[in-house]
Amino acid sequence: MKRALQPFDITLRHGKRYQALRRLFLGFSVLLTVGLPMWHLHALEIEGAGRAADSRWSTLARFLPDTPPPFFGAPTSVWVWFFDLVDPLETLATALFRGFSWNLVWTVLPGVVLVVALGRFFCGWACPYLPVLAAANAARWLLSRLGIPTADVKLPRVTSRVVLVGVLLVGSMLGVQLVPLVYPPAIIGREAFRAVFYGSLGAGGLLVAAAFVFDTFVSRAGFCRSLCPGGAMFSVLGSVSPVRVVNERSKCTDCTVCDVICNLGQSPMTNALDSGCERCGKCIASCPTKALSFKIVFPGGKS
Amino acid sequence: MNRRGLVGALAAAVALAVVPKKTRAEPQKKIRPPGALPRGAFEQACIGCFRCAEVCPTKVIRFPSVLSLDTATPFLDMADRACVLCMKCTQVCPTDALVELKVESEVIAREVRMGVPKLNRAACLPWTGRGICRLCYQVCPYPDRAVEVVGPQKAPLFHVEACVGCGLCEEACPETARAITIEPLP
Repeated sequence: MKRALQPFDITLRHGKRYQALRRLFLGFSVLLTVGLPMWHLHALEIEGAGRAADSRWSTLARFLPDTPPPFFGAPTSVWVWFFDLVDPLETLATALFRGFSWNLVWTVLPGVVLVVALGRFFCGWACPYLPVLAAANAARWLLSRLGIPTADVKLPRVTSRVVLVGVLLVGSMLGVQLVPLVYPPAIIGREAFRAVFYGSLGAGGLLVAAAFVFDTFVSRAGFCRSLCPGGAMFSVLGSVSPVRVVNERSKCTDCTVCDVICNLGQSPMTNALDSGCERCGKCIASCPTKALSFKIVFPGGKS
Repeated sequence: MNRRGLVGALAAAVALAVVPKKTRAEPQKKIRPPGALPRGAFEQACIGCFRCAEVCPTKVIRFPSVLSLDTATPFLDMADRACVLCMKCTQVCPTDALVELKVESEVIAREVRMGVPKLNRAACLPWTGRGICRLCYQVCPYPDRAVEVVGPQKAPLFHVEACVGCGLCEEACPETARAITIEPLP
């Protein structure tokens, strides 16, 4: 039986600078996730106020600057010098309980502006779950090489929106904040912090492990595509983004490579992209005839 | 947003409005960082971003590692550490689950109630006639208000209403006594 084409079989031909920039950004995000707690811990040790010396990371952190970092928290809620980048979903989840406050508006505004302008870019550029997803995709490829079948269940597009509303609804029914418990970037950030500060992992790793198993055996990138409430939130906010992948049909040879490489089940080949596009640009990079490119398309208008 | 999305959002808003408050679970009693909103409101406002724990100079702010509904909310582990009332955690909280407080003695004395001190007199050195210890009195940021010493052996007497619950006394209490514990607010 002929093996179905997998993303790992596809070479990225061009758009290399875009991919390099994206990987650099992603690397920076992952580095911050682990590095920021280390830097904070190191600064605390230098300050000498706490009992930080019992940390097993103290040796590793020694190369960091002695002053506290200009950033706090990562990756769903970052304080960058003078403004907040807090995840819109987590802000919404808080606002449902706390009601409106200008403080919340200011913390969420920079993030919302970015998402409205650039779409669901966080998922492709910054989410610390992406290395786990890459591992799951690699596992799928390996399993298919070994002849072990893996399922690729395509859940309907509305599933993630149902999860989004469901998480907020159940959370408010129970009177607890559920979002940080089920949202992978929040979990990974917290577990990274815990690993650095306490030298141990908490229960949050279980959900990430479950998502890995789901993505490997049940549905390719299934968590990001149809279960992640944060992805759904970014999709909703980013649906007005004018940055879109456009297929010049006259150059297209219908080779399906772009549709295969897309993690999020979009179809650049037929120009059928929706707000689920994470702007990773891999479809553009994989196209053998350079038919795909980013264009500025305002809703209802031409570029 | 399309029409289906709008209908969904409206349905969700209506459902949120009519959900009876009775279904809400009783939050666990835990010692929360200074400036925390009242129990219940705090657990709902906190997004578990761990900034407070990241800046805590004594690392007394911790996160639970067991699987539970409040596994993403910070608590104070005062077994061998204490809060030094630096108020840094209140200044970095993005959602105001911890309300920002100035590092001023009177502001902290008025606004901060992390826990209540409990003295086990049967273990306390002065109260059992084993010595004049006074360690809790010496480390207390509010001596004579939160804790005063009475009698010939200077035995401590806590005034719960004036205590911020920082846990410095619990940390200072000698190994041979361990008479003081800070307990969560009732």
